Amino acid sequence: MKRIVAVLAIVWAAANVVVAYLFVTNAFVAKTAAKEGLPAQAALLLGGLLIAVFAVIVAREGLALFRGTSRVS
Amino acid sequence: MGAVRWLIVLVGVALAGLGAVAIFGQATSGTQPWDPELSDNFIFVKSIPFVLGLGVAVGLARGRGAGAQRRRADGRVERFRIGTVVGHWIMTIGFLLALPTGMWQYLGGILDVRAPIDLFLFYRVHYVGGAVVLFGVASFLAYWSINADRSLLPPRGQWRAHLAGATAELPPRLSGPLARLFRLDLAARRPTPDRFTYYETGFSFPVWTIALALITVTGLIKAMRYVYPIPGGILYWASTFHVASMVLIVLKVLDHLRYTLPRWPMMVAIAKGWVNEGSIRSLLAAEPTAAPAADADVARAPAMSGSDR
Repeated sequence: MKRIVAVLAIVWAAANVVVAYLFVTNAFVAKTAAKEGLPAQAALLLGGLLIAVFAVIVAREGLALFRGTSRVS
Repeated sequence: MGAVRWLIVLVGVALAGLGAVAIFGQATSGTQPWDPELSDNFIFVKSIPFVLGLGVAVGLARGRGAGAQRRRADGRVERFRIGTVVGHWIMTIGFLLALPTGMWQYLGGILDVRAPIDLFLFYRVHYVGGAVVLFGVASFLAYWSINADRSLLPPRGQWRAHLAGATAELPPRLSGPLARLFRLDLAARRPTPDRFTYYETGFSFPVWTIALALITVTGLIKAMRYVYPIPGGILYWASTFHVASMVLIVLKVLDHLRYTLPRWPMMVAIAKGWVNEGSIRSLLAAEPTAAPAADADVARAPAMSGSDR
């Protein structure tokens, strides 16, 4: 069961990395600046970076769970 | 009391069923002039009172919960009652439906792209997910209102201690700056955690509460816009905060997984309700925020063996 949960967590983290990529890249395109403005660009950038960081952490925890090397238990 | 509970549930289910029949009867009558997207919106907004009512009925039917904690001879304890376990699954399903579809609506607008699937289908799934979340929120609030257990919140006057405990869970290079920023004393001896870890009481539950309150209120405003004249400014800010709360929930789900994945007994407890008492106690002892292991209070603490149930 641990391995199934670990794989699901890694898949979820991967999907979030894609979302983070779209957030960050679209923070810098002219279309976003024209349509949404600077605050939205900043929000996309910040949100994307935070999602990326947390997704990487979840992927690492998922991998550790899969391998049976989790830190806490 | 058991009969009254079931009566409440039956009345709630009956009303929701009648509402569903009436709403879908109108929608499929062939006389409605709207396109599929607007039609779905009307179905959703008309369903909301019934979904909320059903959630309240189910929450009230759960009663005051708690009671004596049940144990099994094999060393397992009931950390969560079945209602809590089911409620957690319901919210999980709601998020799984509403988050990806909401994200697509937002990013699709930003990117100006169209999926090979019609957009109204994304909205339809989003509305289903939103309705599931609304049911879960209403059910929890009703249950919370009649249940005196507040173990998911820091006791009065202990918010800073619980925040410090939650911060201490982080790696030192993060916890140090955060503690300085919020003037938290990480070195101070904190009370032995009661039932839930400091992360859960000082950070996780409050953030979930804020995020869910924000997305619920803003989602209701957005859903009502075609049946009630919402001023443009309010609609703009509701849409903005709806997206912001969606991103917050995306982050919180990741944070939730980050914390619980390496603490497997917590995953077992919320999935099954029952968990091995020894493993969950050893988990608490491993918490960097806990009092020293020599402290007898730790061994007696009901923190991980008890719950709001």
